[in-house]
Parts: sequence; C-alpha cells; structure tokens
Amino acid sequence: MVMQGTASKDYEVLFNAVKNRYGSRINAEELEEVRKAVERIAEASELLRSVELKNGDEPFLILKPYKGKD
Amino acid sequence: MSLDLVFTSIRELSTLIREGKISSTELTEVFLNRLEELGSRYNAVVTVTRKRAMEQAKRAEEEISSGVYRGPLHGIPYGAKDLLATSGGIPTTWGAAPYRDQAFDYDATVIRKLEEAGAVLSAKLAMIELAGGMGYRQPNASFTGPPRNPWNPRMWTGGSSSGSGAAVSAGMVPFAIGSETWGSILSPANNCGVSGLRPTYGRVSRYGAMALSWTLDKLGPLCLTADDCGLVLEAIAGADAKDPTTADLTFKYNDSLPKHFKLAVFNGVTEDIQDEIRENFERSLTVLGKVATVEEIEIPDFPYEAITRTILNAESFSAFEDFIEGGRTSELTAPEDHYGPFARSVVLARDYLRAIRLRGVMSRIVDESMAPYDAVAAPSRQSAATPVDEVFRREAPGTARDIMGAVGNGAGLPSISVPNGFAGEGLPTGIQFMGRAFDENKIIAIARTYQSLTDWHKKHPPIGH
Repeated sequence: MVMQGTASKDYEVLFNAVKNRYGSRINAEELEEVRKAVERIAEASELLRSVELKNGDEPFLILKPYKGKD
Repeated sequence: MSLDLVFTSIRELSTLIREGKISSTELTEVFLNRLEELGSRYNAVVTVTRKRAMEQAKRAEEEISSGVYRGPLHGIPYGAKDLLATSGGIPTTWGAAPYRDQAFDYDATVIRKLEEAGAVLSAKLAMIELAGGMGYRQPNASFTGPPRNPWNPRMWTGGSSSGSGAAVSAGMVPFAIGSETWGSILSPANNCGVSGLRPTYGRVSRYGAMALSWTLDKLGPLCLTADDCGLVLEAIAGADAKDPTTADLTFKYNDSLPKHFKLAVFNGVTEDIQDEIRENFERSLTVLGKVATVEEIEIPDFPYEAITRTILNAESFSAFEDFIEGGRTSELTAPEDHYGPFARSVVLARDYLRAIRLRGVMSRIVDESMAPYDAVAAPSRQSAATPVDEVFRREAPGTARDIMGAVGNGAGLPSISVPNGFAGEGLPTGIQFMGRAFDENKIIAIARTYQSLTDWHKKHPPIGH
C-alpha cells in the first residue's frame, strides 16, 4: 500500500523515534523488520483516518468510578 | 484404565460421578496420570497440580456422598491456561522464561468460580509466551518448548492457548480454560480438533488473568463438545466487582435445541484459504442446510483489521511497557519476540482514540448486518496446523486478512469453533459460528446441532497409553 495521507508524513518521524530508542538493542536485519512494522502501523493509521467521524462518535469506553470500602 | 473415559464428555462424566459409578478421586487420578505421562510429549503442561487436585477431588467426593451436589462440574478435573493466577505456591508463568518462577497469593476469579462449582484444578497448561502478544511468527515461542499437536506431533497446536487445546485433544483433561485476544481459543480448537468457545467480551471476569489487551482479552472453555462449553461457561460467567468490565448479566445455559436456524456467511470469507478447508466448510454448510437457511451477505467495506490491530498494538505495548523498556524481551524464547513490540511504541494517541471511536461505528455496522440471522458461519482458521519448526506467518501480524477475527474480537462478539473434518496429514479443521453480543446460547445450540448431525467431535488422536 502506498501511504498518501497524513500518516505517510508521520512514518519517517515514527521510525526514527523507534530507531533512536531501541536501535542499540537490535541488529540491522531486526531493525528492518521493525521498520516494516512501523510502516504497517502507519498504513493502519491512514486507513483509520480515511473514515470520517462525527463529534458524536464517542470512544467505546466506560469509566466506572472506583470507591473502595469505607 | 479405559481410554473411553479420557475421551468422555463432562456431561457423561458428571452422570457417572453422580450415580456413583466412579468417584472424583478415581477420575482425577486417571487424568493426573495422563497429564504426567503425556504432558511433556506435547509440551502441553507447565505444572501438574496433583496435591491441590487430590484435595479438591476428595472434598468433592465427600460432598457428593453426603448429598451435596454442586452441579455438572462437581468432581471434574480441568486444566487452566498458565496466565490465570493460582494461589498456594503454584507458579503462574505466562508461558515466558522471565516469569517462570512467578507466583501469586490469590486465585483468579475464574479459578475461584470453578472451585465453587466443584471442579478439580489438575494442571496449569502451557501457552505461547505472553499470550502471543509480542508478535511471534513460529511455534517455538514458549519456555516449555514448541507445542506439539496430538494429531501429529510434527505439527503445532495453534495458540496462544496451546496447552489447553492439546490437553483436551489428547484426553489429558475433560476441559480447559483458555483465553483469546485475537484467535487464541479458536486457533488451538481448530488445530487440535476440539470445541472452543470465545465468549462475549465482559461475559467472564478477567480478574487474575494476565492482561495482554484490556479491551480485547476474553477467557473461555475448550472441551470435547459444544454442550460441555455451555456447562463450563455457566460456571465461569457473571459480573465481578473485581473486574469492572464484566457485564451485569448472568449466563444460564439453555440446552434446548431450536428446530431451525438462519445462518449468514460473509462474502469472500473463503478466499485465500486452503482448498481442503474450503471443501470442509462447504460440506458443513450442506449438512447444516437440513436445519438452517444459509445466506451469503455483504459486509460493508470498513477498516476492520486496522481498527482491531491498532487497539491491540497500543494496549499490548502499554500492558508490557515496563517489561519492554527494561530490555526483558531479550529473554523471551522466540527471536522475533525480542524486538516485535518496539514498533508499537509509536502508535499515536490520536490513532488509538480514533480506533476505539471507530470500534463503536464498527460494532453498530456489524450488528446491523448480523441482526436478521442467528449467527455468521465461517471456517475457524484459514489453514490446518502447520509444522512445528516452520513459520506460520511470514511477516509480523497485520498483513493477513482476517475479517472474522477483526470483527469478532474488535466488537467483542462470541464465537464457537467445532471440528468439521480433516485436511493434509490427518489434521483437524473447524467451523466457527459467531453470534451477536451475548448470544452464546444461540451459537452453542447451532454448534450442538451440527455435532448431532456429524461425528467429527467423536474422533480422537491415535495416542493410546
């Protein structure tokens, strides 16, 4: 898939962030696998951003405020 | 020892126990011996909990003799995937070398509920390390060794509930508890030729279970029959104050069988699958045609896999953030797990939030598509079991289409997989029935009806003693 949207602009920045953080822990072949994984994450982001959302489309989250025993 | 006993359903075993034809201690001894004999052959067992099992079996025997009968699981041995906390010094290893000595001083809610039902904890079962969440691509991803399939030990069991699938398949336990984030109950159920139920998200408490992805993880049974899955689900389901994500609903297993069903099949679900899987699925639909109408339906185009994958990536990284940042992934068994989660550190908050907003839209779209039907049918997996020493996924997760998995897990829907034939080198295949939220009784009824028309679930691997 060729990224064309905002995610493609993020991709290089994201990969460099991962490389800076974890690059010393892995070899070149593993780094290439990580690069592909970042690319897939960016591709997924592009797909998500391609779907229009309305303000009323809330996250599927339920907060149940906690109260322990008195 | 009768081999028939180890391949006997919970329902039949409970009758034998209730009628006094076998005691819980006798039955437990049979399965403990089988766990000790076969567990290491298939790398299916982490810990045989003999002491606890015999204590529980003895208690069950005393209660039943005195007229106290807790229900169909009373006195029945079982195994628990080793991500469920168990007290009393029994390790809970999460399948991962860094946690091999981990122990908790409490029981997971599922373990407690099974104890209340009188079931007998006989083993902690092997699993893929950290429930497969670090991106494994080949079966050798547990500190207990590659999980071998009882049907053909050169093939793997599927995962991540690998030991749960193998243990039930090989007659080491009548039932096991597994977990599914994305595929981890249905995969071993398919590969090992057993019945596996992934309940609706929130049906079963996750308290005391290792978290991989808080909004995707579900706990469920693997058994010899769909009927047994219903019996176990009734025992383990229910609201739990310790897990606020549990639904405020009870589950009462309804074992009546409707006379007719309406089934849907998503258009395109049999593309890119092995020919034998497709043939077995189509034959299954022909059999079901005696009792069901089957209709192929379109599902709206939507980024289902991207939604569920983004949620999984973000939550799994967070669940193990300190572990990953601390460099401990280098201690895991699968080489690809050493670096697999790194990329997930850059899932942006805006994309995670977008994914969980789209999850709501997805849930409504899918429910609208499914509403006219009792369930959606599909092959349980795209292939039968693959060799234990080969990759089963060429690249890290996120490339293959899996609409049933993405929709089912992303929207938290229940699904049950039952055996429907064989492929390749005598390896089982499965058919799944996915229902609308909280429709476990419907999908179990469909699976039971299928099993009344076929005998795939009565076939067992040629293991012997």
